[in-house]
Amino acid sequence: MRTLQSQSTDIYTEYVRDWKEKGGKVLGYACVATPVELIEAAGILPYRIKAFGHPDTELGDAYLARFNCRFCRSCLQLGLDGTYDFLDGLVETNGCDHLRGMFENWQYVKKYDFFHYLKVPHFLREDSLEYFTEEIQLMRQAIAEHFGAEISDDALREAIDAYDEVFAKLKQVYALREKVPPALTGAEVMRLICTGSSMTARDFSALLDEVLSEKEGARVPEYKARLMILGSATDEVDLIADIESTGALIATDALCYGSRSFWSREGESGDPARLLAERYLGNLFCPRMFTEYEKRRDYILETARRAGVEGAIITYNKFCDLHGVEAVSLRMDLEDAGIPVLVLEKDYGSKADTGRIKTRVQAFLERLGK
Amino acid sequence: MAQVEIRPYEGLINRVYEIFSIVDKLPLNMSDEEVEGIMHVLPADLAKTMRAFTIPRIRNTSLKFLGLMKKWLDGAHEAKRVGKKVMLVPFNFPPEIVHSFEGAWPITSEVLSTLGVAALEGQGERYWDYAMGLGLPDFACSANMIEVGSALTESDFAPDAVISDCFASCDINSKTHEFLARYLGIPLLFLEKTVDNSERGIKQYYKYFFRLIEDMEEYLGEKLDEERMRAVVENANRASELFWELWDLHKFAPCPVPNVFSLMVYGVRYTMWGTEEAVQVIRDMVELSKERLARGAYPAEAEVARSLWTYTSYYFDMGGLFNWMEENGITHLGDGLDLIFPQPIDPTSRESMLTGMAEIARNMPMTRQMGASSMSVQWLDDITWASRELDANCCIYCGHHSCKQTWSGASVVRSELMKRAKIPTLILQGDSWIKRMTPISVLQETIEEFVNNVVKKREAPARATG
Amino acid sequence: MYYAGIDVGSLTAQAVVINAKGIVAYKSIGVKPHPVQSAKTVVDMLIQEQGINWNEVKFCVSTGYGREQVQAEGLSQDNVSEISCHGMGASWLVPDVRTVIDIGGQDAKVIRVGKGGELVDFVMNDKCAAGTGRFLEVQARTLGLSLDELGTVSFSAERTLELSSRCSIFCETEVLHYLQRGHTKADIAAGVNRAMAERVAALVRRVGLEKEVTMSGGVAKNAAVRAELERMLNVRLIKYDTDSQIVGALGAALMARKMGGGS
Repeated sequence: MRTLQSQSTDIYTEYVRDWKEKGGKVLGYACVATPVELIEAAGILPYRIKAFGHPDTELGDAYLARFNCRFCRSCLQLGLDGTYDFLDGLVETNGCDHLRGMFENWQYVKKYDFFHYLKVPHFLREDSLEYFTEEIQLMRQAIAEHFGAEISDDALREAIDAYDEVFAKLKQVYALREKVPPALTGAEVMRLICTGSSMTARDFSALLDEVLSEKEGARVPEYKARLMILGSATDEVDLIADIESTGALIATDALCYGSRSFWSREGESGDPARLLAERYLGNLFCPRMFTEYEKRRDYILETARRAGVEGAIITYNKFCDLHGVEAVSLRMDLEDAGIPVLVLEKDYGSKADTGRIKTRVQAFLERLGK
Repeated sequence: MAQVEIRPYEGLINRVYEIFSIVDKLPLNMSDEEVEGIMHVLPADLAKTMRAFTIPRIRNTSLKFLGLMKKWLDGAHEAKRVGKKVMLVPFNFPPEIVHSFEGAWPITSEVLSTLGVAALEGQGERYWDYAMGLGLPDFACSANMIEVGSALTESDFAPDAVISDCFASCDINSKTHEFLARYLGIPLLFLEKTVDNSERGIKQYYKYFFRLIEDMEEYLGEKLDEERMRAVVENANRASELFWELWDLHKFAPCPVPNVFSLMVYGVRYTMWGTEEAVQVIRDMVELSKERLARGAYPAEAEVARSLWTYTSYYFDMGGLFNWMEENGITHLGDGLDLIFPQPIDPTSRESMLTGMAEIARNMPMTRQMGASSMSVQWLDDITWASRELDANCCIYCGHHSCKQTWSGASVVRSELMKRAKIPTLILQGDSWIKRMTPISVLQETIEEFVNNVVKKREAPARATG
Repeated sequence: MYYAGIDVGSLTAQAVVINAKGIVAYKSIGVKPHPVQSAKTVVDMLIQEQGINWNEVKFCVSTGYGREQVQAEGLSQDNVSEISCHGMGASWLVPDVRTVIDIGGQDAKVIRVGKGGELVDFVMNDKCAAGTGRFLEVQARTLGLSLDELGTVSFSAERTLELSSRCSIFCETEVLHYLQRGHTKADIAAGVNRAMAERVAALVRRVGLEKEVTMSGGVAKNAAVRAELERMLNVRLIKYDTDSQIVGALGAALMARKMGGGS
């Protein structure tokens, strides 16, 4: 508990401040398709862009429109208002149309010396894997050239191993949250993953050791039902806390600021660049992959079964094209599998909507007979 | 779950087909009295569209265009009847590729939605509502969702497969295609745009393109026949030449090309390109425009604004937009969907023809701009180029609410366009296919204000700057 | 033996007292600054005006947005969401009801219930006001009409003008636009009412429509919206005999009776 609570939801954390003060470089990225191992192998801190439900968007709105996802507008806001000025560059991915817009506008205004666009295919096939492998090599080259840091195969392998260690420990954390009774709440886990996404693998791994030993015998307070949450990009720890305040324990998730950021990183190639391509393109579980619905559905159903959830909340930010459409199929399939679903379309970071969200969750619990 | 009752004959394609069968019977050279007589028997929404299409200055050409649409729908029905595969494609997929196959016929979802909006009483709203009832999001693209909504009722003329080449240029359409194919249990064939304008990116795109052709050949059980393809390519090449001729005619002031031709030319592009009939209809548009040029004909006293629409236009009131504009001296030089960049295809060999088609597909609207390395840079380059070519003195971004990618770049494009070419852009908000979002009179008023207060006061035309 | 329900919403608060047979007493007031204050006031008035002995209330359930605070203050023994309560209340008033439409000032809900009033499914608007009573209020104000007039005047409309049903801000601009162009208030009001009905119909389609259907909340009082909605959904909307404002509190009282072992 102590360790977790000390992890703040600041953007410029003490950890990052220290890193910068020691002369370290930081690269911002947003999407789980970014091979962070590559950044870390160059001795640079990969920082996953977050907004933690930041409600202001005025500066962002001068570039993105109200028809764009508010998560992206909030992140852009923090990019433009100087909060993210500690970044030494950005790595864009085409995670979705809104993210692309966010990166383009951010760079249009801020003009970072280092800005690299990693192009991620939307399907998995040998030809797209080859292309993505080249993309990874190009990113490797770009980082090496700009930061004067050669990225050797050995350094890459080392970084991959370090992340594998983190991922294995995160799975242990999930075992603790998914068991009955759970040792951690959903809000705690999201906070932990967000914290880790602004740290090096080695340091996050050490933090996970602390958390695991602290939490081993812990149990969360009473709750009414075990639910799963899935859907679009959200780092809103407060949202999860609000949901849990109704007695709905978020026992597991399929969010990209959750299990989807680490659960599977399978790959088999001996060549580290190709291996990274396989690890990422082969394991995205994101509706941006337009031909893999069944794979995502199975992942979600397996997660739900493993955690023994009694219902699922599919949440997405208003205007999220990918999850907005995906939610329809998932709702049908989850309900067919006997898992009742609450679809929660919401505005990102909208505190004004908290009461309504809680009412909907409570009514969902009542529908479940809780 | 969805509760809107749709009887079988009420599917969009079926209904539109029946209506076009009637429209198709209208003779050329009708008198005003005859037209007026017909208006009285048509339901209100269709009458409104027909009124827009049969104004005297374009009457015959419009009827020929509508006749072409009927032939296109005939093709789909005939295909179904003889066991060919009907393939649902998006507007940014060159239909001549499908026409090159003996055993396939393209139906284009955005064009079908537009025909539904134009021809059906209540426009396309019932199909949109059906899709919403299933839980699909209200920020989806109506251009696609109206037709898709009808297909989802499973009581309309149904496609056998879906081809999506929206991967990497439009999320909402890619997602909608994926959903539709799964829902109907039909194959999804796809083509990704590498968001990369480098030589490597282009090479990879060609690779994906050739793979799609293989996938189509496999699905259709048919190897592309070189001779058949050549015939299609030759028609496409002729249409391309005529397209550029029409493009050049837009350069005259006042513009001799009627506003609604902006829409009609891509209506042809997205459906029957590669056929002899398409060539004929574009030729008719060119001829009429030439004839108007010779006469110096223009619907208003003076041409006060030459507007280039930077992405889509509005399609729920043709008379209220295209005709109203030109009657008020506002020329519609074209919109983003007219940026089709048709190039001649080398008909020498299968390889040369496929490479030519790949290049065409790579440069189709949306694919080219939104699927570029930068969404705003390519789009801006194209708009800047087109506005100079056509001597536009203003741009209008229609702000179709579901175009999240263009909304992402609209602000940058507007300010850069002002910097580079001194061209002001009006940003509107609305749904291009559904009148519920912003009524046409509100749009008209905003356009009027923009023209009176900004465009008229502008100092120099585009060509004089930059 | 009594059971009670207290519903503290954003604009009004109600309390309903029932016994084994049915409604014994009810009261509705405008809200006070704090939900607990509202709850206390409405209960006090019930005691004073209608002579209810609150000590005989065996179990009380609170609902509405102030439900948790009311329970925390000890005024109720449990709290239930207004969604479940509305479904339950509607089902008691109209036993065959399966779809409950409730459009209040801030909230729009469509609730599917089972035979016994149990919650089957529901949708509720997010913070967007386009489908709520607030939408009508804003447009009525722009037109210089009262809420009641907005409904009645549109029956004299010659044509229904197109207005945005997607966004209340868009719509407000459009109302002004039409006024400036000299359109009649009746025609504009008809457009406003249709836009409102379209929005509600969209919510109904999300959960699916099953008969019978009731409609309650402030917006239900607008006959033009009701008529449009009946046309769009091709269904008759049943009105309650009782004051429809108390449906939530009544549902809460029925929940209380269940929880308190009274049936």
